[in-house]
Amino acid sequence: MRSKLRWILLAVLAAAFVVAGLSRISFNVEILKMLPTHLPQVEGLSLFLKHFAQPNELIVTVESASPEAADAAAEALAAHFGTRPDLVKRAVARAPWEKNPADIAELFAFMLLNQPPEKVREIVAGLGPDKAAATLQASIEKLTESISPQEVALLSYDPFNLAGAMATSGLMSGTQQSEFSSADGTFRVVYLESAKPFANYKENIAWLQSIRGAAADVKLPAGVTLGFTGEPAFVADISGSMEWDMQSSGFVTLVIIALVFWLCYRRARPLMQLQGMLLLIFTLTLATAGLFLSELTVIGVGCAAIMIGLSVDYGYFVYQRSLGHTGSVRELQKECFQNIAWTATSTAAVFFALNLSSLPGLSQLGNLVGIGVVIGAIVMLTVFAPLTMRFRRTAEPHHESVIERLFASPRFLNAGAWFTLALVVVLVGALFILGVPQVDFSARTLRPRKSDAYTALERLQARLIDDRNVLSLIVSGKNEAETLTRLQAAEGELAAAKKRGEVKSFRTALPVWPVGENQRTNLPLLSPLATDLPRLKQAVLDAGFKDEAFALTDAILRQWSAWSTAAPPIWPTNETSRWILRRVASRNPDQVLAMGMVQPIAGHEDAVTAAVQRPGAWLVSWGQLGRELKRVIPQEFVRVIATLGAIYLVIVGIGFRNVRAVALFVVTTSLVLVCLAGAMSLLGMTWNFFNLAALLLLLGTGTDYSILLLLALQRNGGDAPAAQRELGLVICLCVLSASAGFGTISWANNVGLANLGQTCALGLLIDALISLFLLPRAWTLLHPKRMPL
Amino acid sequence: MRPLLFLACLCLTLPTGAAEPLDLAPVKKWIARQDEFRTVQADFTQTRALRALRSPVVVPGRIWFSTPNSLRWELGDPAKTIVLRKGDTYLLVQPAKKKAQRLSAGNIGPEGGAKGFAMMEFPLASDFAEFQKKFEILSVKTEDTHCHLELLPRDAQARKFLSALKITFDTKSGHLISFEMVTRDGSSMRNDFTNVRLNSKIDRRTFDYDLTGIDVAEEKN
Repeated sequence: MRSKLRWILLAVLAAAFVVAGLSRISFNVEILKMLPTHLPQVEGLSLFLKHFAQPNELIVTVESASPEAADAAAEALAAHFGTRPDLVKRAVARAPWEKNPADIAELFAFMLLNQPPEKVREIVAGLGPDKAAATLQASIEKLTESISPQEVALLSYDPFNLAGAMATSGLMSGTQQSEFSSADGTFRVVYLESAKPFANYKENIAWLQSIRGAAADVKLPAGVTLGFTGEPAFVADISGSMEWDMQSSGFVTLVIIALVFWLCYRRARPLMQLQGMLLLIFTLTLATAGLFLSELTVIGVGCAAIMIGLSVDYGYFVYQRSLGHTGSVRELQKECFQNIAWTATSTAAVFFALNLSSLPGLSQLGNLVGIGVVIGAIVMLTVFAPLTMRFRRTAEPHHESVIERLFASPRFLNAGAWFTLALVVVLVGALFILGVPQVDFSARTLRPRKSDAYTALERLQARLIDDRNVLSLIVSGKNEAETLTRLQAAEGELAAAKKRGEVKSFRTALPVWPVGENQRTNLPLLSPLATDLPRLKQAVLDAGFKDEAFALTDAILRQWSAWSTAAPPIWPTNETSRWILRRVASRNPDQVLAMGMVQPIAGHEDAVTAAVQRPGAWLVSWGQLGRELKRVIPQEFVRVIATLGAIYLVIVGIGFRNVRAVALFVVTTSLVLVCLAGAMSLLGMTWNFFNLAALLLLLGTGTDYSILLLLALQRNGGDAPAAQRELGLVICLCVLSASAGFGTISWANNVGLANLGQTCALGLLIDALISLFLLPRAWTLLHPKRMPL
Repeated sequence: MRPLLFLACLCLTLPTGAAEPLDLAPVKKWIARQDEFRTVQADFTQTRALRALRSPVVVPGRIWFSTPNSLRWELGDPAKTIVLRKGDTYLLVQPAKKKAQRLSAGNIGPEGGAKGFAMMEFPLASDFAEFQKKFEILSVKTEDTHCHLELLPRDAQARKFLSALKITFDTKSGHLISFEMVTRDGSSMRNDFTNVRLNSKIDRRTFDYDLTGIDVAEEKN
């Protein structure tokens, strides 16, 4: 009774733990979260995504063969979503200033307020009673002789030529690119801002589904196709596929494990018990991760299948030992403890040691798998072992499986050794002839394989804004003044780079950045001008202009007057201003950021990036990130692998206390890695950030096979066939299960995660073959008299 | 900023459209004849009827054109503004102010610089198919030997500020009689051509300009 109560209490506690942990699980789709934050490209791109990527702004692309149809569709969508405040805060199909031209006056007033005081004094002088008529006459002359439609249109509505005081270069001058329509009008864009920020990725996915549904209700002209991209679409696509990858790979792994187990043992009850254990381990691990780890990244998602694939090894081991066990449960646990503790400790140690890496993605992977392995070992020893014994007492006698019979055959062991040797020769030969696999750190490997959001983005880049070769300038400071200083320095560097022929063009936020000092000096000069409005208007009419020609001047002077009591730095706040500034300026209580765009000359990206790079200033792009990763990550991996290798050697050295065994272990592991590289070259696979992590996984999992074999050789007094017979089935089961785990993520939507799965599955198969067939032979060669270890 | 303000100023009226059956034969014939013109010289009167001004501004000017892409456009008498095109380079000269600006054709947008106002591409299109690709034909009316053609560029950026391009040409000789741009705010700029000489010899030096003492600004970033 007391024991029953203890189990109930334990179950309740476990349930509470699981509920608390799983409710805290969240995904982070930002790929940069997996990369070292100290890298300038990662730091700069993170700031870009955080402050300028517009997390609540969905971009709806509208494409049609006819510009009229595209225009009508864009307008219809904007109108429809304008009536859905429950879904959309703002639906924009045209630049706001096209709808409210007068709104531009605020931004215009702001930019003039930032001009150097000497220019502003000129403006004020030009508006004075003695100069106003001459200023207007000069404008009339320009209107007569100018051949620029821009200048004519501007002067018509700016008769005092206030715009003349503004710098012509900069962010928006001369830009012909529209963010709403392609040049031929057949591709249009509608921007939808969500009604409220998203609390989590599930809300994001649900919102996007509602938007798609609402868009489908709009009657659009025939032949119009819609696309959805922008941050909310990416988050929905990536987090949705992460969730699916995690669930599907975990489920498929369980199914494959069940099949493998059934083929070997043909027993239903232990199979169900084992599956139950795996689910328990998976749930407990995820709950632990939810409670103690931060958001799961895409690499953490892949761990679900890996954890199951690894934990089942202990289950197989316990079950296999239980079949021939005649003692008590405690004795079985004691018997299994040494092997499981050995492999689990070494595996967990390796995975936890990934925290030594500066790559947060790897640290998370290490922690998740490490936790999973420890929980797996504990569950299999404390829960599964008693269950198998209980089952054994009531089951039929054990029949040898096909695999066991094969490993009992010397012919099979010989054939296996020759086959493995031939495979090793082929793979090493491939590596020698084809060379080591190429390295690919491009953004491609960081993205989903299939994504509607990326497809729509590619159309957007092809038809509207091609920013693929553009570098983004990110400038950050504690306040406007600090950011301004850094922005000016960056602009200076960019101008110098342009002179050196490294940059084709650039635009920064400088022309629309508040200059506090100038604002303080200019405001007392400009704000009183509003009192002269009647005189100035009369002068405009006298010069031959109509009433409407004075509207802009009137609005600007009134805006200056409205700002008379404001404390610099002053920012414009109306809808048009916010729309224009949203992609170039971002303000938070402790950080003010500015953005710019740089078009480098091909081949000079690194030079320009280095020239601009300084505290608070970054020149970033996904391409540059790839180049930086290519420089940094291999070194980082070499460092981590060397550290892990050293840890392993110490553990194995203490365990075996035999130089030859340690040497065999090192040679086996090295041979596996060499063969893996050969196989990758042969299959045309490349190294990237993800499958470099596969090397670490191989160190953590594949080496178990050679350790188990060496321990079996020890138990069997150096009798290689006996060791092979003892472990043949278990290692086959382990490798099939682990390969199934990794194999299922080979089809993951994330390209890198899929590569990780493929590389690991391949590596484990090679590792198992070498450990099972070549390692015992090598031991026999080294110890012809069957010396016990 | 300036282009934004420019666009904002133009966003006052909506574009117009037409949907009646059109007789495109004279237009096709005119386009087909464009290749016959190796050189064009003409005087013109430019009338700027700006929405913000109470009365139109009238300025005289002259034009020289030679295939494939040499052009001289003078506005004012004496010329206050001269536009020279040689190949892909435009030179905008203001002799009285001793200032000039050099621009590449690729960087002259439909709403900026020289191309939009003063310049028409010669020929407008190599064939009628290209013409239709570049322009939407809103109306065609023929009166005696004059054909009045109303167009709208297909370029979305140009459509933002233009509500129509109006061209009148002589159906017999094929020469241009007038060219008018109407902007969305209701302003217009009309060039009436007179003294048109086709295929007469033009001194190549016409397309040069002595920049001695002129402050030349190159294209900005």
